Amino acid sequence: MRSHRGVGDAAISAVTVLALCSGAWLLSNGAGKHVPPQPSAAQGREIARGEDTDRSPAARSAAPALPPSPPDRIRIPSIRVSAPLMGLGLTKTGSLDVPPAERRNLAGWYEAGTTPGETGTAIVAGHVDNADGPAVFFRLGALKKGSTIEVDRRDGGTALFSVDAVEVYDTKAFPDEKVYGAARRPELRVITCGGGYSRTTGYQGNVVVFAHLTGSR
Amino acid sequence: MRRTTRLLTGSALAAAAAGLVVTPAYGDDGGDLGVSPSSVVPGGQVRVNTGACEDSGAAGDASAVGAGAFSLVPGTAEQDASGGFRVPPSAQPGTYEIVATCAEGGRRVSGDLVVTLTAPREQVHPRGSVKTGVGGALGGDPVQTAAGVSALAVAAAGGTWLLHRRARGDGI
Repeated sequence: MRSHRGVGDAAISAVTVLALCSGAWLLSNGAGKHVPPQPSAAQGREIARGEDTDRSPAARSAAPALPPSPPDRIRIPSIRVSAPLMGLGLTKTGSLDVPPAERRNLAGWYEAGTTPGETGTAIVAGHVDNADGPAVFFRLGALKKGSTIEVDRRDGGTALFSVDAVEVYDTKAFPDEKVYGAARRPELRVITCGGGYSRTTGYQGNVVVFAHLTGSR
Repeated sequence: MRRTTRLLTGSALAAAAAGLVVTPAYGDDGGDLGVSPSSVVPGGQVRVNTGACEDSGAAGDASAVGAGAFSLVPGTAEQDASGGFRVPPSAQPGTYEIVATCAEGGRRVSGDLVVTLTAPREQVHPRGSVKTGVGGALGGDPVQTAAGVSALAVAAAGGTWLLHRRARGDGI
């Protein structure tokens, strides 16, 4: 009788300890796993060296511009992105509009601007997450310099871009000219949300990928 | 700014050249030749019309811009004689005189055509940050969270039961 009770106690103790450990692991792991990656300072633009992007070796090796053609799809193999692109306009306040949040694998491009591959600054934007979880550009902040971005164009070609920098900018001090300003060579910006997150105001900045055209196929 | 200056210089030179080269054969009435669009990029199509030739057609000359001769066919019922040509893709920016000579009476009319490089599109750049996230990814996987909470509940129940036994002095 007494030994029966001892076995029962031991079993309950074991279950309690196991449940405690697994519960703690599930909760801590579940919460930590879904923070979008953010770029490190090493992926930033090399301001320290006073490098002018237009005179850097990369600028000189830029591929010749392609004729204008709207883009259909963006692919970033290193972070497993392959998403269709929709045309985007501006909001009433002049900021870039975004694709509908409920479509998690949809990105957009600024239709009134430069088409990707043409001389100038083409702009692509997509969500980092939506109400249900991670979205198309969740891993954008993990992109590294030199990574390839491919844009399929309606003329049947694919424009190939190489990443120059990955930056994160605070919403309150967003460098419009640097991000959206005209470029003398074919360039691309890929934008999503990033920086810190506040429950009241949401993401506090944007992750911006700077890239330039290196070729086409 | 520099580009504008160069463009203007080009236009002035071209206009001067046109003025020097083209000597009117029959007294230039000028200005009676409609050119549309009046400003075009190299490779663009241009329509030309004139009401100066009454019911006859006209022989057009766009050689100033490198497009050569073209013809203006008489319009029906009081409509203008009209024709067209394509600006060669190699055309340089500038202002060119397009002339037409009426088939009857030989009256000569002219109009100006401005060739510009790809019209600099007045682009409106977006401003400010982009709203591309709501933090939905940060809450974690709801299924996993629920599992974790259940496991902790089981642990709490087990712990409570064991403590109870000890407090009752049943011994472990």
